[in-house]
Amino acid sequence: MEFYNKPGDYDAINYIPHTESHGTKELWKTFWLLLGITVLDFVIYFVMPASGWRNFIFIFFGLVKAYYIVGAFMHLKHEKINLALVILVPMVFVLGLISGLLYEGSALEVMKSM
Amino acid sequence: MANHTSTQASFENQTTWAGGRSPFNVSYGKLMMWIFLLSDAFTFSTLLVQYGTQRFSNVVTPITTKWPDPASIFNHFPFMHGLHLPLLFVSVMTFILILSSVTMVLAVEAGHRKSKSEVARYMIYTIIGGIAFLSCQAWEWYTFIHEGARLDGNTFGITKQGYDHLHSVGFGDHFEWADGDRTFGPVPFAALFFIVTGFHGFHVFSGVVINVVVYIMTVRGVFERRGHYEMIEKAGLYWHFVDLVWVFVFTFFYLI
Repeated sequence: MEFYNKPGDYDAINYIPHTESHGTKELWKTFWLLLGITVLDFVIYFVMPASGWRNFIFIFFGLVKAYYIVGAFMHLKHEKINLALVILVPMVFVLGLISGLLYEGSALEVMKSM
Repeated sequence: MANHTSTQASFENQTTWAGGRSPFNVSYGKLMMWIFLLSDAFTFSTLLVQYGTQRFSNVVTPITTKWPDPASIFNHFPFMHGLHLPLLFVSVMTFILILSSVTMVLAVEAGHRKSKSEVARYMIYTIIGGIAFLSCQAWEWYTFIHEGARLDGNTFGITKQGYDHLHSVGFGDHFEWADGDRTFGPVPFAALFFIVTGFHGFHVFSGVVINVVVYIMTVRGVFERRGHYEMIEKAGLYWHFVDLVWVFVFTFFYLI
């Protein structure tokens, strides 16, 4: 396995693209954003009474945090679009299933008491 | 390797999907890490689907709160015994994990600049963050089990009296369960808590092991000889995924 350990060697399977640093500015910005949203979660939990709307806000904030972790930290924003789509499109369907079953769960509750 | 240059040229001349090159412009290892994370995301999704269904089919009734308000259950904080501090400890855990994510991504960035000492330093910070998170989780499990939660039983069915009791205490007030506050509640509450946070905790543990291995490889100069620090990126992808899962565990288990 020596051949691809040398810089400059081109190998199709172990192809390493040229990497360069984009600086740490975006990373720290993402950190403060994630921290801010988490603090906001904490505040909303105590300020707002429990309701469907509050759940919606929490899930929305979770998705925003996910966008920044996947986009900036995991660098998916800067990858080729077809790689991003392969990963994100199935997750959209899974999210649909989760939100659907959250809703259907309430219907199950009603049916159980009938 | 005499015809090395001509081989390279023939690879680059091929069209994107003709084989022999990565259509996603990432290395094999990185692509496989992404595919693994996608399958792992499906695994966690099935657990969250289960949780969501159980959570909303056991909601509040006029007489009892069948499904306990999670933050009121996890209202403890180390060294502040008996105080009602809902959500505070998990928020600290979330903060620890976000912080270790940042040090991880700083290690990746240092790897792009091929700065061995910086990569090693940030990896150490990340490992410390991971161990801190695991310790927090161990403490939380210990407290929860101590209070009567089991994988196959749940003593956190909150009665009307308990519901009123919980909502009469303010943040930081002294709180202790009274007789009649609690009864047996839905088993999935405790079971899913242990399964999902346990599964996530196991991922954190694996992540710490991977980070330690990568740290040792960095210090021993393996990546320096290899000429690139892409292994840090792959370990980083996994570590950030663990953080990502925690975002949703935090949302679904503690906030909702």
